[in-house]
Amino acid sequence: MKEILKKLCIDRGVSGSESEMLDVIKELVGDFAEVSADDMGDILVTMGDKDSSKHIMFDAHIDRIGLVVTYINKEGFIKAEPVGGIDLRTLQSSAVKVLGKETVLGVICTMPPHLSKNDDELSKDKIWIDTGLSAEKVNELVSLGDKIIVCSEFRELLNNQVAVSALDNRAGCAVLVKCAELLKNKNLPCRLSLVFSVQEETNELGAGISAYTLQPDEAVVVDVGFAKQDGVPDEKSGRIGCGVIISISPVLSRKVTDRIKDIAKQLEMECDYEVCGGSTGTNADKISSSRGGIMTGCISIPEKNMHTQTEIVSLDDMEKIAELLAIYAENGGVCNA
Amino acid sequence: MLDYGLLERLCRADAPSGFEDEVREIVLSEIKDYADDIKVDNMGNVLVFKKGSQTPKKKLLLSAHMDEVGFIVTDIKSDGTLKFASVGGINDTAVFAKQVKVGINKISGVVNAKPIHLSSADERKKVPSMDSLCIDIGAKDKEDAEKYVSLGDMIVFDSPYENKDGRIISKAIDDRFGCLVLIEMIKSELPYDMYFSFVVQEEIGLRGAKAAAYTLNPDCAIVIEATTAADVPFADGEKKVCLVGGGAVVSYMDRSTIYDKEFYNIARSANAKTQTKTMIAGGNDAGAIHCSRGGVRTIAVSVPCRYIHSSSSLASVEDMESVFEVVRYTAEKILSE
Repeated sequence: MKEILKKLCIDRGVSGSESEMLDVIKELVGDFAEVSADDMGDILVTMGDKDSSKHIMFDAHIDRIGLVVTYINKEGFIKAEPVGGIDLRTLQSSAVKVLGKETVLGVICTMPPHLSKNDDELSKDKIWIDTGLSAEKVNELVSLGDKIIVCSEFRELLNNQVAVSALDNRAGCAVLVKCAELLKNKNLPCRLSLVFSVQEETNELGAGISAYTLQPDEAVVVDVGFAKQDGVPDEKSGRIGCGVIISISPVLSRKVTDRIKDIAKQLEMECDYEVCGGSTGTNADKISSSRGGIMTGCISIPEKNMHTQTEIVSLDDMEKIAELLAIYAENGGVCNA
Repeated sequence: MLDYGLLERLCRADAPSGFEDEVREIVLSEIKDYADDIKVDNMGNVLVFKKGSQTPKKKLLLSAHMDEVGFIVTDIKSDGTLKFASVGGINDTAVFAKQVKVGINKISGVVNAKPIHLSSADERKKVPSMDSLCIDIGAKDKEDAEKYVSLGDMIVFDSPYENKDGRIISKAIDDRFGCLVLIEMIKSELPYDMYFSFVVQEEIGLRGAKAAAYTLNPDCAIVIEATTAADVPFADGEKKVCLVGGGAVVSYMDRSTIYDKEFYNIARSANAKTQTKTMIAGGNDAGAIHCSRGGVRTIAVSVPCRYIHSSSSLASVEDMESVFEVVRYTAEKILSE
């Protein structure tokens, strides 16, 4: 799992630039599954019995949050704006990578303490990036619209946990890849589509598009969810390293959710639940209302520090969730059950 | 050209105040074949004498500090996360959601960040203060964390180093650059005898320099430093303080010292690009050295450095070369009189 995740946690694939991830998915599953991409860039992996009347879709968004270059001033400083819900508090004096013709290292501009008031409000209109390069060099390497990510290295913590940016939702993608590996020599009683969907962080675009195109009978969304940590309410979070967070919501199918719960029980997984009064804030919202409605479930990998360069997940949790999904598909889901 | 490979090794070494060992080892191994006398004093300062072609009337000390800003573990919480305090002046804004290394075994950790989704509008606008944050190493609980971490362990930023197109991005340029200049001087043929001190604990109150100046008892001193440049897009005029690319910074005054006027004029007349600060800001070991014993005539020559005291500071190679030239020229001129 660690090796799969490392391959997925690369600098590329900020929302709108997910096509950069196609080769990675091909490398990971191309030997045993059919990989294609739709017009929006969603990466579709097809497995199982293509002629089956049952069609299950597993979705994980593959985009990551970042910034986009909007302006370059005459000194060569780069102005940027957020792509997705980036946390401005994390940017202060962080190193970033500007993904231009070459990857250029830079630093988010800040004022030194003696010149800034501690109560200065953060604003998305004040994001400047300093590459230290001449304006000429910056203009040669960087164009408006290029994406930027905050630097972070893949680091292993204690107890099989890892910390790096973009685990939201490359961790979910790694779970789908692992699930595909578990199913590779098996005969499935259904058609299975694994969707690595685009632009979740901006407007959940890809999941809606792919659900419309694929017309599955049922779907399960894999994303990251809040892990318990300081300041995070107990009822909105799950324990890291214990298993899985299962979403319960009016927009989700009870049948699918119950099946997920049953399999988790069978695997002796410890589950935490996130109960939402309305929509889930994940791709499940778009998928479940696609076309005439699709029965949808949603499970999450407990993650600390969401939307920062220090996101943390447990590889053990991811392994178990991959196993859960594999069993779900092997049994043909809930359609016609 | 200075040895920038050595600068990279010095910057990558982890040595917050009180934990200068890694830098001291590099210094000692680099200078051992070039110096005439090397002592490590009770505080950990490295005190060096090197003979030149002539013995001057005055005793000149060149000084740089080995320590960098960092953190120290102050408590281990029941959930296995670590409370910490800064070692040296670090802005709250530079800490949130950064990757770090803990203890001499350098285990990976991250500064935790409450997810933006669960933060109020007010919380999102301001970076929380350091004392409300904790570091996550992935430990299950206090007992688990205690297997790897003890109170008083050092913590340093885990951030990238890059030297590209004439600019360097790294932690700890303050003051590994000064150490580099001293090492290069010691390795070169000197016109006059000179003394050198690689000192400890600058960042927590100029403590090492005080002891070194007492022991070596110089008549005059040159402090080699990195100093705050604030030439970013949202700073105007004098608030920029000094400019990256503007040459060696020679100050007439800062918050700890009024510098020797004659030495200031000598330094400014060197055949290299120089500038002075446009605000009375900052301070360095000169503050401890110039008032040592019966007084020491002192000047500081610094490389301008943006985002100093953060995980990623930025400086120009051309400025570094200018500083070396100014230091060499000023030392020779002072001793020739």
